[in-house]
Amino acid sequence: MRRIIIAVLSILIIASCTKEDHKETDKTARLSLRFDHLNQGQSLLVDSLMYINAANNLYLVSEIQYFISDVSLYKNGETHLLDSWKDIHYVDTDLPYTWDWELKDSIPSGTYDSLSVVFGINETKNQSLMFVNPPESLMFWPEYLGGGYHYLKLNGKWKDEDDVLRPYNYHLGIGQLYDETGGDPIGFVQNYFTVTLVNESFEFPEAGILKLKVDMDVDQWFVNPEIFDFNQWGGDIMQKQDAMAMAVNNGSTVFNAHWVSD
Amino acid sequence: MTLFLALLGIALLLASCQSKDDVPVHQPTAYTIEIPFGFPTELNIPDDNPMTVEGVTLGRYLFYDGRLSGRTHADSLMSCYSCHRQERSFEAGIDHPDFPGGYPHGLSGKHTHHVMLPLINLVWNHSGYGWNGSVYKDNVNAEYRNIEDIVRMAVMAEDEMFGDTSRVVALFNQLPAYKQLFQDAFGNPEVSFRNIERAIAQFVRTLVSANSRFDKYIRGELQLTQQELNGYVLFTTEEGADCFHCHGGYGNPLFTTHLFYNNAKDSIFDDPKDRFAISADPMDHGAYKATTLRNIEVQAPFMHDGRFKTLEEVIIFYSVDLVQSNSVDPLMHHIHTGGVRLTEQEMSDLLAFIRCLRDDEFMTNEAFSRPQVLPDSDTSY
Ligand code: HEC
Ligand code: HEC
Repeated sequence: MRRIIIAVLSILIIASCTKEDHKETDKTARLSLRFDHLNQGQSLLVDSLMYINAANNLYLVSEIQYFISDVSLYKNGETHLLDSWKDIHYVDTDLPYTWDWELKDSIPSGTYDSLSVVFGINETKNQSLMFVNPPESLMFWPEYLGGGYHYLKLNGKWKDEDDVLRPYNYHLGIGQLYDETGGDPIGFVQNYFTVTLVNESFEFPEAGILKLKVDMDVDQWFVNPEIFDFNQWGGDIMQKQDAMAMAVNNGSTVFNAHWVSD
Repeated sequence: MTLFLALLGIALLLASCQSKDDVPVHQPTAYTIEIPFGFPTELNIPDDNPMTVEGVTLGRYLFYDGRLSGRTHADSLMSCYSCHRQERSFEAGIDHPDFPGGYPHGLSGKHTHHVMLPLINLVWNHSGYGWNGSVYKDNVNAEYRNIEDIVRMAVMAEDEMFGDTSRVVALFNQLPAYKQLFQDAFGNPEVSFRNIERAIAQFVRTLVSANSRFDKYIRGELQLTQQELNGYVLFTTEEGADCFHCHGGYGNPLFTTHLFYNNAKDSIFDDPKDRFAISADPMDHGAYKATTLRNIEVQAPFMHDGRFKTLEEVIIFYSVDLVQSNSVDPLMHHIHTGGVRLTEQEMSDLLAFIRCLRDDEFMTNEAFSRPQVLPDSDTSY
């Protein structure tokens, strides 16, 4: 009996070795994303009242939490969705382990035209209770407001017109449409959007990991093309589709990405 | 490398064969925590204390046994139950016969630093036990990491049992029925304090509350009243009462994030045991854990210092009495108007919703209740 087990064990070990050898002959590489957070080009300092946006609001940033999903590569008009293992990634400025996302997909080597991600989660995937464990579960978006998850929680404070430090919760998720009676929502708006992170051709090597550094410049949420004024919108936007629409418009200039060699 | 692995494999096989032949097997029955609808699947159970039916049985006896104080005289008995009562969601409760107003004190007469926390759904807390989260998994100080450690703290603390662990061990080692229970649970009749900690922690981890009217509603078993539904909308909307960011909802049915916030009660912070004491982050002055709102109706007095006696007072506080300070949490974004400004009608709707988080089945569940008789006792301990 024991001998059989040893034999089986050895076969398994040998088999796993050959598999390893086999892998090396495949000409594929992997992609990894590294998220970093800036404000007006400099490393973001949290809880520091030192930033002034285009609307001239003096503000601080306490924390940023968001979902990036559906990383896609484009080649000759074809789309390659990278969705092995997982297709939605959570980033949290307080949790360093969320700053790196190493995708599990084996990507055939060759030239690609561009790379995009979805900011937030698309309507087919954004289902309530798909994340039951924290920290992702804490992003839930109330059923009454459309359900699923917050795409973004950007929390901080700004000095209002009376020179009082006031909290803001710049939260993005499913928007609602209300009629003039102000009753229950009569419809919902999907506010997720696609961001093209790389728009010039790049080469996937025959092996190894290609690393893309993705910088979010927080101040860009409040400008380009639309100037977002805290004094006009107040501290909360989850039930203000007009404000969330501005966030969506500004969202495409928030990210800057570049390949890194290390 | 391959050779090494093969050898290791063989060694392991040999070892496992041998133990089968020689050592008497101690095979306790694994205890599985059923995950209620919508609850997290990741449990906070340390690797060195797997849950077993026998461990939980022993833990329940110990939880309710006043001899845990290490003493047997009627005046100097104290158990976890002395403060943590099932009918109050394992808090003391404002109506506690020995602790007027719900402010507990230890055997020494010294009051606990804060008021009670409930013992429900703690197996899903990964971010820290206690009002300020001083007991947490990755603590560099290995003495303060999990519920096992809280057992020891409760036995020793001057404001709790004010006991001595070696006295407790010596006492329980004289009790034959207990020794059998330790044998069943841990394969060793010799009582050790480590195994006392383990057993009680296992029992505490079984205290799952997930059968409130709200749970039945989300499982499709009943419909809430219109007033409760109105309250639910208020609870989960920013323009309403805005409670969900810290206290959960459908997508976070624990009704807590287990995180720490300054919820705008004060402007002067002089509690040496707030969250700042643990995190040293200036934004954590006056911050405490957002407690679960499950069963909150029976858990008065409210807040870490028990300043509010009724839920009505709490709701009025969130509605109009918020206090500005530098470390107030950004999620308290209604602070510039003093609060969420609910009408009388909205306040009673919100209250109706919060009340449907009460789980009476939990508070009468016999698996959690005080055993009729304790091992090795002719009197009541
Ligand atoms: C004298 C009253 C008293 C006794 C006796 C007592 N506790 Fe507590 N317990 C408290 C108080 C008060 C708190 C809140 C402590 C804090 O954070 O300041 C607490 C907190 C806890 C917590 C943390 C809950 C959470 O949500 O973080 C656990 C677990 C706990 N007790 C378990 C026990 C166990 C097990 C025993 C028996 C070994 C016990 N307690 C005995 C008063 C008591
Ligand atoms: C910014 C986060 C936050 C928000 C928003 C919030 N709470 Fe709290 N809540 C807390 C914290 C933190 C505590 C504990 C504070 C303490 O003990 O000093 C608490 C305590 C409570 C308590 C007392 C719990 C106990 O065990 O004593 C009740 C009841 C409560 N909140 C209800 C509500 C309601 C109702 C709302 C909405 C109107 C709400 N909370 C909004 C963070 C929040």
